[in-house]
Amino acid sequence: MGTNSRPVVVKRVPERMNARAARDFLHDVEPFLSIDRPQLVFDLSEVLQLDAAGVEVLLRCMSEAHKRDGDVKLASPSQQAAVVLELTRTERLFEIYETSVDAVRSFSGFLPNAMRQQLLHKRPRTPAAA
Amino acid sequence: MNAIDIRGLILVDSLPSGRDGLLARTPFAMVDVAGMSPLERIAQTMRRHGVSPMAIVVEDDSAYRRRRPIPPGMAFRAASPDRYWRLAEGTFNDLAQNGTELVLVVRLGPYAEIDFEKLVQFHLAGPRRVTQVVCGGRPLEIFCLSASRRNDAASLFRSQLGQCRSQLESYEHDGYFNPLAGPGDLRQFAIDVLTLNTETQPAGTEVRPGVWVGSEASIEKGSRILAPAFIGASARIGCGSLITRCSTIERHAHVDCGTVVENSTVLPYSYVGAGLDIAHSVVRIGHIASLRRGVTVKVSDQKLLGRVSSTGARYLWKAAVSLPARIWNGIFRNGSAPPPPLEDALLRPSSALGVSACDTKVAGEFASDLMAVRRYGDQ
Repeated sequence: MGTNSRPVVVKRVPERMNARAARDFLHDVEPFLSIDRPQLVFDLSEVLQLDAAGVEVLLRCMSEAHKRDGDVKLASPSQQAAVVLELTRTERLFEIYETSVDAVRSFSGFLPNAMRQQLLHKRPRTPAAA
Repeated sequence: MNAIDIRGLILVDSLPSGRDGLLARTPFAMVDVAGMSPLERIAQTMRRHGVSPMAIVVEDDSAYRRRRPIPPGMAFRAASPDRYWRLAEGTFNDLAQNGTELVLVVRLGPYAEIDFEKLVQFHLAGPRRVTQVVCGGRPLEIFCLSASRRNDAASLFRSQLGQCRSQLESYEHDGYFNPLAGPGDLRQFAIDVLTLNTETQPAGTEVRPGVWVGSEASIEKGSRILAPAFIGASARIGCGSLITRCSTIERHAHVDCGTVVENSTVLPYSYVGAGLDIAHSVVRIGHIASLRRGVTVKVSDQKLLGRVSSTGARYLWKAAVSLPARIWNGIFRNGSAPPPPLEDALLRPSSALGVSACDTKVAGEFASDLMAVRRYGDQ
């Protein structure tokens, strides 16, 4: 039901995401974005500097993923990254999780909660052990 | 009150309030809040109560002197940290030698709106040697000393206002008080000034109820200033921007087009880039203190937060210098190599991180079923 069989790629974002690093980063992730329905998690835990160029690359990745019916999610943003994302109004565009594991798991739980509850109720219950 | 000679001695040191990283070593007492620093506001209050001139001792007054003429009647004396208290004591002795009868000693940090007339009356009614102001049971570093009591003053200054050889008499202060110990207090002070919870008011013209604007401020068409708000002298507000919820844009600051400033303070000479969202924050040149997160972070990108460009000529010069690099990038960077295939990309060391995509720290954190899904997926 909630199992997703497609790969989820976790990518750590470099400490300093300035214009040059952002260009390199985009070059690194382009192959993962070019597959069908890409699923990426960017781990921002080590980011110390996030420039406008870095934010632009994150948005570009998300845009490319959406074009192929995929998604990009962010995980464990550092304080620096969180403040810059908030400042640039991009934090509301991404799903942001506390850990990379949570972010990866979120790809498999694609059903809305309400629908999942309905399915749980319909499932026949296993008899309790005596 | 003018019958006796009363002088003020305001002490400003850079250590206690500048430790959070937002202002480096600049004390909050010298940072503009709605057009005037707490230091200037205290000096103004003293003048209003007939206490003048003031001798002000600061550890580093260069930041203050550089951008602002010293107001008449204020004498600045600067000292290095090791000579700071000795200079304060020396200044007190100079005042006493020049015929002063009472000296009001105020140490900033904290900002308190003291009724100095009542304080002096309380001191003289005793008569008392040294009177200390107390607020809600907490002693403040505000004293009224008889100038003839040099030994008392000496013991006070040598203990960094910690103790006095004579018994201290307490004067209870029930007016406005702000500890000014961090960006949150600075922000609260701005809110209190704009909502008129303080005696002191914003330093500007009230162009409509609750909106104060300093001289030569430029507010472009299409921008909205919602009361209460303050726009400092020579500040620039770009088109389409919104300043709201007790925000203060201090002198010479520049808020670029389409930016929302909500419940925030933008300190002097700071540039805030276009299309940003500044909320519950204090912004300095290249720094932002987020009050919700309780952190101060450095933002290196000048497009986001930076220093206002000083002149148009400098801007043109920078543009001219960067032109060849832009042309070079435009010609040679467009034809970049196509991305490598997926298999190679997984194993190739990342140029940004130096490790391959398959070799991440977080890989070990995944549950085994997740790893299986990844390995045997439909891709």
